[in-house]
Amino acid sequence: MLENMKKSRLLIGAACWILLAATGCKKFIDYNAHEDYQITTADYFKTSDDYQKLVIGTYSPMQWLWANTVIGDIASDNSVSGGENATDQIGFQQIDDYTLTTTNSYLTEAWKSCYEGISRANYLHENKGRLNFTGKDSLYGEVYFLRAYYYFHLTRMFGGVPLFVDHRLTVSDSKSAQRAPVADVYKQIEADLLLAIANLPKSNLQKGRVTKYAAQALLGKVYLYQNKFDEAAAMLENVISGPFSLVTNFGDIFLQSGENGSESVFEVQYSNISPFYDWTNPGRGQGNLAVQACGIRNITGSSPYASGWSSNLPTKELATSFAAGDKRKEVTVLDIEAYKTANPSFNITYTVAPYKNTGLYNQKYLPRTGETSGQLELNYLNNYRFIRFSDVLLMAAEAYNRATTPNDTKAQSYLNLVRNRAFGDLLHGVTATGTALKQAIWDERRWELAMEGDRFFDLVRTGQAAAKIKGFVVGKNEVFPIPQQEIDISGLTQNPNY
Amino acid sequence: MKLKIRLLCLGIFLATCLQQAMAQKTMITGKVKNKSTGEPLNGATISNEANQKSAFTDANGDFSIQGEKGQTLSVVYVGMTKMRLKITNTVGVEFLMEEGNIKLDEVVVVGYGTQKITKVSGAINTIKSADIEKLKPVRAEEALQGRASGVTVISPGSPGAKPTVLVRGIPSYSGANPLVVVDGSLQTIDDLNSINASDIESISILKDAASTAIYGVKGGNGVIIVTTKSGRKNRKAEFSFSSYYGMQEVARKIGLLNATEYGAMLNEGSVLSGGNLIFTDLSKLGVGTDWQDQVFKKAPMQSHSMSARGGGEKMTYFLSAGYTGQGGIVGGADKSYFNRYNATSNLSFDLTPKLKLITNTSFVNIKGASIAENAINSVLGNALNFDPTVPVYNTVPNTYGTYSVSNRILSENYNPLTQLDNTHNYSNTNKLYGKIELQYNILKNLSFTSRYGYTNTDITGKSFQPLVYYGDGHINSTLNSDGSTKSGSHNSVAQNKNTFYSYTFENYANYNFKVVGGHSLETVLGFSMAKNTGNAIYGSRQDVPFNSWDFADISAATGTAANSGLSTGVSRYERRNLSFFGRFNYDYKERYLASVSLRRDGSYAFGKNNKYGNFPSFSLGWNVSSESFYHFKPVKVFKIRGSYGITGNENVNPQFERILSGIYSYNLGQNTGYTFGNDATSTGAAVGSYLNEDLRWEKQKQLNLGFDAQLFDGKLSINADYYEKNIDGLLFQPSLSLYLGTAAIPSANVGKIKSNGFDVTVGYNTLIGKQFKLTTNVSLTTNKTTVTTTNGGLITGGSYGIAGEQITRFEEGYTPGYFFGYKTNGLFQTLDEISKSPTQANAQPGDIKYADVNGDGVIDAKDRTQIGNPFPKYTIGWNLTLEYKGFDFNTFVYVSLGNDLFRAYERNLAMTNKYRGVLGRWTGPGSTNDARNPRFVFADVNNNTRASDRYIEDGSFAKLKNVQLGYTIPATLYRNKVFSKIRVYAQVKNAVVITKYSGYDPEITNGDAGILETGVDRGAYPQSRIYAMGIDFKF
Repeated sequence: MLENMKKSRLLIGAACWILLAATGCKKFIDYNAHEDYQITTADYFKTSDDYQKLVIGTYSPMQWLWANTVIGDIASDNSVSGGENATDQIGFQQIDDYTLTTTNSYLTEAWKSCYEGISRANYLHENKGRLNFTGKDSLYGEVYFLRAYYYFHLTRMFGGVPLFVDHRLTVSDSKSAQRAPVADVYKQIEADLLLAIANLPKSNLQKGRVTKYAAQALLGKVYLYQNKFDEAAAMLENVISGPFSLVTNFGDIFLQSGENGSESVFEVQYSNISPFYDWTNPGRGQGNLAVQACGIRNITGSSPYASGWSSNLPTKELATSFAAGDKRKEVTVLDIEAYKTANPSFNITYTVAPYKNTGLYNQKYLPRTGETSGQLELNYLNNYRFIRFSDVLLMAAEAYNRATTPNDTKAQSYLNLVRNRAFGDLLHGVTATGTALKQAIWDERRWELAMEGDRFFDLVRTGQAAAKIKGFVVGKNEVFPIPQQEIDISGLTQNPNY
Repeated sequence: MKLKIRLLCLGIFLATCLQQAMAQKTMITGKVKNKSTGEPLNGATISNEANQKSAFTDANGDFSIQGEKGQTLSVVYVGMTKMRLKITNTVGVEFLMEEGNIKLDEVVVVGYGTQKITKVSGAINTIKSADIEKLKPVRAEEALQGRASGVTVISPGSPGAKPTVLVRGIPSYSGANPLVVVDGSLQTIDDLNSINASDIESISILKDAASTAIYGVKGGNGVIIVTTKSGRKNRKAEFSFSSYYGMQEVARKIGLLNATEYGAMLNEGSVLSGGNLIFTDLSKLGVGTDWQDQVFKKAPMQSHSMSARGGGEKMTYFLSAGYTGQGGIVGGADKSYFNRYNATSNLSFDLTPKLKLITNTSFVNIKGASIAENAINSVLGNALNFDPTVPVYNTVPNTYGTYSVSNRILSENYNPLTQLDNTHNYSNTNKLYGKIELQYNILKNLSFTSRYGYTNTDITGKSFQPLVYYGDGHINSTLNSDGSTKSGSHNSVAQNKNTFYSYTFENYANYNFKVVGGHSLETVLGFSMAKNTGNAIYGSRQDVPFNSWDFADISAATGTAANSGLSTGVSRYERRNLSFFGRFNYDYKERYLASVSLRRDGSYAFGKNNKYGNFPSFSLGWNVSSESFYHFKPVKVFKIRGSYGITGNENVNPQFERILSGIYSYNLGQNTGYTFGNDATSTGAAVGSYLNEDLRWEKQKQLNLGFDAQLFDGKLSINADYYEKNIDGLLFQPSLSLYLGTAAIPSANVGKIKSNGFDVTVGYNTLIGKQFKLTTNVSLTTNKTTVTTTNGGLITGGSYGIAGEQITRFEEGYTPGYFFGYKTNGLFQTLDEISKSPTQANAQPGDIKYADVNGDGVIDAKDRTQIGNPFPKYTIGWNLTLEYKGFDFNTFVYVSLGNDLFRAYERNLAMTNKYRGVLGRWTGPGSTNDARNPRFVFADVNNNTRASDRYIEDGSFAKLKNVQLGYTIPATLYRNKVFSKIRVYAQVKNAVVITKYSGYDPEITNGDAGILETGVDRGAYPQSRIYAMGIDFKF
C-alpha cells in the first residue's frame, strides 16, 4: 500500500515535470529576427527618421521606370527600336513594330515597378497614424504625389488596373484583386494629388523633391488626359504663376548643368555617385539605363559622346518635321554623319547602328563621357525631365483652347512663349484659333517634347495615334497588354484584342 | 524498505535512495564453451531468470552469477543458439553452445529503444562491430557502403572528407543527409568524422517511415543510429589494442599527351587556324614532364587504438583512446591530411538499484590540411593541363622560383608544384560530445529516461595566399620574374573561428507489458528539446611580412581597412525544435505484429501557421512461419512486413519581413536610395521580403513492403523491401500576383518528388567440414527518383569550365541533379553535310554536329537536354568471409551501375595539355565520326567544348574495396595467459577498379557541396589504394 502510494507520487511527479518542461518551452520554437540582428517591419515607424527613409524608398522605383521614356517614343512616330538585331531587346522591337505579345519584359518590369512604388507608398499610408512629428504632413504630400505618379504611369499604359490604396500588400493579397475602371483609377490619382497639393511646400531645399507645383502640374496633366480642360487650365495656371521660366538656350536643359534648372517642374533624379553593378536588375540602380540604350555604338574620338546600344533611334520623319530655324532640331536629333563631318577634329569613329539604322540619335539623352561611373553602362547620371515648364505652358494652352469657354488668346500666348524660345525670335508666333490652334499646339508638343517619352501617350490621348503611327490598331493599341503572368496567376482580364 | 525520492523540476533529476538489503548471496559459477570447437566463449551473457541478475563470461569462458539451485539460467552469445538450463549444481555449470544460424534473439537498436528482430515490422539494416572492425574505415559511413541495402554511399578521396550518403534516393535538392544519432544524441553526418570506428558496437539504418517517423521532421532522409561500446557488469577489465599501418598510392593515372605529341597537336591547331608552327623542331621535345608523376606522392595511413572494458557490480566502463592519420596522395602528407585523436569514456553507475546514470564523453581533436581540389586550377587540374614541355625545376638563370614556368599558358593553369609549395590551408578542430543520461526503473517494466546529449565543436582555420610567380604575363602572377612584387598585388592571410553547439534534451518513458493470452505491448512516450547553433567569426589581412607562412597571421600582417587590406565578418545560425513522440508496438505471440508511432515536431524555422508538424506511421508484420499450420521445412522463418508513414525534412530558413535600409541590396534586386540633385545619395528604406506564414517542412510519405526469410536451417537469409516515396513541399518560388511588387517572394512548399526502389540483402553462411566457415552476403540497392513538380522552378549547379556553364539541374520531369547540355550526333564530314543539317552557326567539317532536339531547324540553347545521370541505378555490395582454423579471409566488392560522369577537368585552351583522346581527332572526311574527337583547331568557332555528351562517360564501376587476410594466433602458442587473442592481418583497399571511365576514379563526390555537384569531375581527388598491415591484441 505504502509502496503503491510512493509509486503514484513518483508518477505524478514525473508527469508534472514533463508538463512543466513542455509548457515552459512553448516559446522555445518562436523565431525573432532580432536573434539574427535583422531589422524587420516591427522595428520601424518608431522615429521620424524611419518615415523619412521610407519616403526616400518610395522615390526609388521611379528610377526603375527608365524604359517607359524609351517606350513613349518608339511606340510613336518619333523613333525606332534599333538595337543589335531583331531579337535584341525584343520587348522594344515588339513595341516599335506593333507585334506586341502579352509577354514583354519591359512592360512587366514597368508593371512590377509601379506596384512596388505603390506598395511602398501604401505602407507609409497604412502606418501614418503611428507617430507625429514636424514636417509629417508635407512628407506625406510627397508620398501621395508618388502614389499618383505610379498610378498615372500604370493607367496610361494599361488602362484600368487593380487599385490598392489602404495597405501594403502581403502574400495573402495575391490573386485577390480585379482591375478597377480607368475612371476610378483617375479619381484616386486626383484625390492623391489634391491631398499632396494641400500639404506640399512650394519649394524644397533638396532639388528633385516633390513640390506643390510638381503636384499641380501633374494634376493638370491628369485632367488633360481626362479631357477636363477647365480644371486643367485652372490647375496649370497655378504653376505658370509660379517661379518657373524657360531656359533661353534649349540645348542647355539637357546638359548636366541644366538639371533641376529654372524650367524644371519635376525630374526623376539619376546619379553616378553611387554606382552599382547588378546586371540581373540593370535598371534598378541610381543610374539611367535609357541613356546607355540610345548611345552610338563604339564611338571613339574626342566628341563629348560616349558609346551605347543604338536603341531608340529618331526617325528621319521626325527630323524633317522641324521647321527651318527651329533650334530644337539639332538638340533633339543628332545626325551622326553630319556631326562627324562638321567636327573633323574629334576624329570620330563609330559602328553604324546594325539594326533599323536611321543615322540619327537621341541627342537629348545621349550618353556623354564622364557622366557615368563604376559599371559604365548602368550608371549614367542624366535626370529624366518628366515635366518641364514648356510642357506646362503647352498643356495650359491646349486646356484654354479646348475649355468649355475657350480662351485662344491665352492659348496662343502660352504656345508662342514656347515657339519664341525655340526659334530665338518673335517671328514664328501662331495666330490660328480654334481647331487649327489645337493642332498647332499638338504639333508643337511633338517638337518641344520629342524623345522625352511623351509622344505615344499624347497621340493616344489626342486621338491622333491611328493617323500617325504605322501599325496602330484602333480599339487595341491605345493601351499595352497586361502582362500574361498577371492573366494566368491573378486572373485579370486582358485588354481588348490582345 | 525505505524509499525516498526527490524530484526537481527544470532539468535536473536527483534521487537519493536507500538500498534494499540483498537477500540472496549464493553464487553459481561455471563455464561457457563452443560445443563444436570446445573454445571458451568470451563475453557470453548469463541471466538468471529468477532474480533478473546477469553476468558475462571472461576470457576463459568463466562466469559467476547470483542464484540458487532450481533456478533457470539462460546464456546468449552472438552467433550461437540461446540456451536455457535449470541449475542442479551451483558449481561447475557448463554450457556447450551450438552455432545457431537462426538469429531469433538478436536485438536491433531503434529510435528510443531496442526491438527484438522477430518483432520488427519496419525496414532496418544493422551493421555489427565485427564488420566495421574488419574494414578499418576512417569514417563510419564507409562501413555502410554496399553493406546496408537501400543506402548509397559515394566516397570522396580527399582525406577525411564527407561522403554523399543517400538513404533510399534523393528526397530534396537542399539536403539529403540522413540524421545521425549517436548513443541517443542527435548529430549530423558531419559528426561521423569524429568517431573512432573501433568504438562502434553497431550501426542501425532506419529506412522506412515506420522506423523513422519517431524522428519526425528530422527523419525524412533516413536515420543512422550509431551505438558505441559500453562496459559490462561484473567483468574483469578487457584490454584491447589494435594498430595498423599502411601506404597509399594513386591507383591509376590519366593518359595525357607527352611533350612531343603536345607539340605536334599545337602545331596542327595553330596551322589549321591560319597561324604559324609553335614548335619548329618537335624532335627536341622528347617525352617532357608528366606533371601527374610530380604531384602524386605515396602517403602513409595509420591507426592505433586501445580500449579497456569491464565493470563491477554497480558500475561499468568502456574507455578508449585512438589515433588515426591519413595523408593525402595529392601533394603528399604535409599538404593534405586528416589526423584524428580520440578519447572516449562511456561510464554507467547504478546509483540505486533502480536509478542508473550513464555518462558518455568523447573528446576529439582533428588536424586537417587541404589543397585546391576538384577545379580546373586545382592541383590535379594543373597537373592535367599544364605545359608538358617545360622541365620540373626552374632552369632559367636570374628568375624567381624553384619550379619552372610556362610562357605559353598564361591564365588559370600553372605549375602544380609551385601551387603546392604555396598552399597553406590548415584547420584544427576540437570537439567534445557525449551524453548524460538517467534511467529510472520505476517498475519492473516501466522505465523513465532523461538524456542530455551535446556536441560542441570548435574549429579554427588559417590559410595563407603568398605572392607567387607563375611566369611573366601569367594573370595569376603576383610577383615579377625578379621576385619583386607586382604593383597592386598583396599576399593575404585569412583566419576563422567557428563554434557549433548542439544539444538534445530528451525525456521518455518505456512501458512494456503482457496481457494474458499472448498479447504483448511495448510503448514509448516522451518529449524532446533540441537546439543547434553555429557562430563564426572570420577575418583576412593583406601584407604578411616577408611573404612567409612563418608570419602569416592577422596580428603580424600590416594591411589596413582603408585600403581594403583588412576585413572581418561574422555569421551565425540557430535551429530549435520542440517535439513530442510516442510509439505503441503490439504483438500476439510474436506472430502478428503491429506498430503505431507519432511524432509532433515544432520548429523555430517553420512559419507561424505551421509551427508544428505531425508525423504518424504504422506498420504490420506477420511471422508466417510461427503459425501452427506452417510446415514448409526449407523455409524455416518467413515474415512479411508492411509500413506506411510520414516523415519530414526541415531544410527551411526562418522568415521575417526584412526592412532594407541602404542604397542597393544586390541579392534582392532592390534599390532604396535616391539622389536628390547633386547631394549625396540618400539612404532609404523599404520592405524587402514577404513573409510566408505557411512555411513548413518537406513532407515525405513512404510505403514499405518487405519480407524476411531464412532457408535451409537458416544458412540462407533473404531480406527484401520495396518502397515508394512521395515527397511534397520542396521549396520553390510560388507563382504570385505581379502586383505584389518586387519584394522578395518567399519560397513556398510547392515542389514534389517521387521515388521508388528495392533493397535486397541475401546472406549465406555455412560450415564446410568442421573447420571451414563461409559467410557471404550480397546487398542490392535500386532507386528511381523523378522530380514531378517545381512550378517551373529550376535549380542549377555543377559549373563546368571557366565560363561556368551550369551542367546539373533539378528540374520538373527529370531525375534530380541530371546532366544538362547538347546531344552530339557525330561530326560534320563535309560542307555539304553542314548545309543539309539544321543551322549550326560557324560549323566547319570536323566540328561536332549537335542534335536538333526541339526540331526547329536551328541548333541553339533550346536544344540542350538531358545527357546523363550522375546517380547509380543499381549498387551492389558483395562481402565474402572465409575462416579456416586461425585464418580468416575477407573480400568486399562494391559495384555501382548506371552512374554517369561529366569529364570537366580539361581546360581546353589552345596551349593547355590534353587528354590522349585528341590523338584520334578528325583529320579529314571519313577519318572519324566520333563526336568525342572533333578536329583540333585553335580557333574553335563551333565551340566544340560547350557542355555536351562529348564529355559524358559511363561511370559504372566494380571496386575491390577490401581484401584482407588475417591470422589469429592459436592460444596454445602464448600460454602465458597475458593475451586472450592476437590477430595479425594484411589488407589492401581499393585493390582493383574495373570501369570504362577515363579519369582517375569513377567514384567522386563532394559531400559538402550537395547533390548538384555529384559526378562532375574537375580533377577530383581520387581514392587511394592502400596496402596495410595490422595487429589486434586482447588481454
